Amino acid sequence: MMLKKRKREGGEFSASSMADITFLLLLFFLVTTNIDVDTGIGMTLPPKVDEQEIVPMSKDRLAALLINENGDVLLNGEIIAIPQIGETLKERIRSKINLPKKKKLVVSIKTDRNTNYNLYIQALDQVKDAFYSVRNEYAMGKWGKKRDKVTEEQHKELKEKIPIIISIAEPEKVQ
Amino acid sequence: MKFEKKRAATKQEIPTSSMPDIIFMLLLFFMVATTLREQEIFVKFTLPEAKAVEKIENKRLVSYIWVGQDEKIQIDDNIVKVKAIQKIMYDKRVALPNVIVSLRVDKNSRMGLVTDIQESLRKADALRINYSALPK
Repeated sequence: MMLKKRKREGGEFSASSMADITFLLLLFFLVTTNIDVDTGIGMTLPPKVDEQEIVPMSKDRLAALLINENGDVLLNGEIIAIPQIGETLKERIRSKINLPKKKKLVVSIKTDRNTNYNLYIQALDQVKDAFYSVRNEYAMGKWGKKRDKVTEEQHKELKEKIPIIISIAEPEKVQ
Repeated sequence: MKFEKKRAATKQEIPTSSMPDIIFMLLLFFMVATTLREQEIFVKFTLPEAKAVEKIENKRLVSYIWVGQDEKIQIDDNIVKVKAIQKIMYDKRVALPNVIVSLRVDKNSRMGLVTDIQESLRKADALRINYSALPK
């Protein structure tokens, strides 16, 4: 009897579809992972101190924003619509660019406990936007660049000329 | 006269055997570069929209506080009460001195609650905050 060993053909498998499989895997990961970018309005809270210092402030420095629970907005005692806050503030910020540090504009935002959060954010947004656009104008006029494209040195100057001072006052309690 | 077409002696194929390796590299890159969301969010919220938003540069420093539609507050994986925030945030600040607290607050919340949270943050000395908002 003769046992013939079966000859095997070369032990290769086609690797050409491997690329497709890995592509599928790649696509799966691309689709399922979500890169969520965090965006928001940055603020720094005032530190907690036991005794509050009361600093007298001249009227032309202060822009007081009041938002009540009905959504009415007062800017220095006058009723204003939220989208107009920006324009009004811009004027005042511009006029104070060359004043010394102690005379720059201070924006104070005060709300009721029942004020809608969204309104507060919209108002805060307007204020921030006003400061940013004046910074932009200044940077454009002086260096021909936008405010976020300037060098560190120039950014310092921006900060010094147009400081963003926003005070968040504690809301008044409504009885 | 007979013309014979010239034919290159070499094979006219691109070796594709290294293709999977290249794509595996790509895959690995994406797996490393993307962070999976590790936190489950129990509260429902819609963020407000704003124009003057900025990106948070350093994500490692961020710690979140969620406030939902029903005024529930979530920190990490727990629903907490307002009173507990101070302690939790103080511990976080000790562990990470320049922590940025990102407030992801539902846009229909009342300011009273937000202020209470801010007061606790002030007491905990975690002063850098960020009102999370979507770009308009």
